[in-house]
Amino acid sequence: MTHTTWQRLKDDRYGIGGLFIVAFFAVIALSVWAGLLGQGWSEVSGNRWESLSAAHWFGTNLLGQDIFQRTLFGAATAFEIGLIVTVFSIVLGTVLGALAGWYSYSWLDEVILWIKGVLDSIPFYLFAAAIAFALQGNRWAMHLAMIITFWTTTARIVRGEVMRIKQREFIEAARAIGLPDIIVVFRHVLPNTAHILLVQSTIVFVAAIKTEVILSFLGLGIQDGVSWGLMLAESSQEVLAGHFGNFVAASVALFIMLMGFNLLADALQDALDTQRVNS
Amino acid sequence: MTNTHIAATGLPFIVRRFLHGVSLMLGVTFVSFLLMVYFGPDKTYELLGKNPTSTQISEVRHTLGYDQPFLLRYGNYLKELLTLDLGLSDSTGEEVKSILTRTLPISIALVLPGFVLGNIIGLLLGMLAAWYRGRWLDKLLMSASVVGMSVSFLIIIIGLQILLCTPYGLNLFPVRGWQVHDLPSYLYYVTVPTLALLLVTLGYNTRFYRAVMVEEIDREHILTLKAYGTSPVELLFKHVLKNSLIPVITRIMFSVPFVLVSGSLLLESYFGIPGIGLVTFNAITSGDQPILKAVVGLTGLLFVLALMLTDILYSAVDPRVTRQ
Repeated sequence: MTHTTWQRLKDDRYGIGGLFIVAFFAVIALSVWAGLLGQGWSEVSGNRWESLSAAHWFGTNLLGQDIFQRTLFGAATAFEIGLIVTVFSIVLGTVLGALAGWYSYSWLDEVILWIKGVLDSIPFYLFAAAIAFALQGNRWAMHLAMIITFWTTTARIVRGEVMRIKQREFIEAARAIGLPDIIVVFRHVLPNTAHILLVQSTIVFVAAIKTEVILSFLGLGIQDGVSWGLMLAESSQEVLAGHFGNFVAASVALFIMLMGFNLLADALQDALDTQRVNS
Repeated sequence: MTNTHIAATGLPFIVRRFLHGVSLMLGVTFVSFLLMVYFGPDKTYELLGKNPTSTQISEVRHTLGYDQPFLLRYGNYLKELLTLDLGLSDSTGEEVKSILTRTLPISIALVLPGFVLGNIIGLLLGMLAAWYRGRWLDKLLMSASVVGMSVSFLIIIIGLQILLCTPYGLNLFPVRGWQVHDLPSYLYYVTVPTLALLLVTLGYNTRFYRAVMVEEIDREHILTLKAYGTSPVELLFKHVLKNSLIPVITRIMFSVPFVLVSGSLLLESYFGIPGIGLVTFNAITSGDQPILKAVVGLTGLLFVLALMLTDILYSAVDPRVTRQ
């Protein structure tokens, strides 16, 4: 990030707001991982559906578990899913996109585009169901399904960018002095896509967290621990009986976190002056 | 634009697109075959009694086709999909084909209003925001769309249910179910799902259409027309919209499977509506392989078919496309 970019980001009130929200949840997630917060998420510490109290800030759920503890733990789950999916799908998308772009219109490009086309043609939730079906209850089935499908957008963007960059003069110069392709791509082409990857990462992060909610409701989500998606799935049975603890806690936490990431993504996009990627 | 290029082979555009589509269809069906048939659960022992002999085992494996070579099994799966000979459901024993033909119309009736409204309203709001770019209305619409993008589909569904279907809210609509026999009952059951679908897609649609329109509004011929005093409505609908039809059509075509599949999957399983989404949801939870492999394979095939049609449509709308 250059100096002017940082300046522009700092001047963007919404962007800074988003950054603070993201940092706030990141601190909660780190504290959960460090064993400081949310450790009592699975303990039965009260009666069923207790209302708000000093002991249970957000009340308790059907089993008498503390909803506040579960909400805190859910932040860590969301970050875990977001980070794993983002890192792997961005790396995969960058590598395949760079290969396709550098060797554009070759057979390699055709193959990568074909794989991307195939994956884009299978509706995501069905694909996730198919992966879960094939892996028969493996706890990483959900992450894997997201990684396998989410890289395609990154690859499309990186491919276009690499095709544009490789025509620039400094790339021509690098090739003229005889640098091997792999060095040119990794040292001279890809660093110039870093700003796009940063924005794309925040977008993938949001997508991963939102997708986990739906998959958890469908029974294809995480299997150990608790997530906001599982809390919402639980709440779908409770709201009809008038117990809103799970629903309010999970949806407010989820909304604020996604809002933070969306604001940050927009601000980064503006500050880095990349083209809007609205898909 | 799909950004896919088949290296210039000198073949006519339509033939190239057709070959490309067929290769995608093979890929889609291959993936679903690999995941759900080849690596899918082994059903041998579910069909056998206790302490089976080895001849019984091999008999069952033979009837299930497990002893055939890989490519032959893929070929059989492909044939099943193309001839719609999809076998029987594991859980109900009903023919998969008749389940699908019975439930598909319900799903379409369920998601169509929300899909159409989401696109029309998104397009109109996008135009409005683009026209007033940088002014307060634009900022308001864009802030609202970020809020919309930050709310999960599940939260919208549960929230609307509380607000509209329970005594804790207005209690105007049914909590769940689908007892549709005429127009009033249709509206009674379809309203809440439609609102949910509308709200979940509106933020994304508005942003997307705004981006498309902004690009087009900046063109010089639009500026000229503006200077001549053409009315905004004529300008937007006759000149801006017409020239941005390609991204608009792409958007709509690409979102059809998303909306139809994920919309019906969530709405139907949540509201207990007996459409294809509920069938799929039940197949996911009970591991009903014949239904799953049919649904995944067929939606993939239909999507690629729709893509091919869009590409051909493009070349009719804009001849430049054929020269990519």
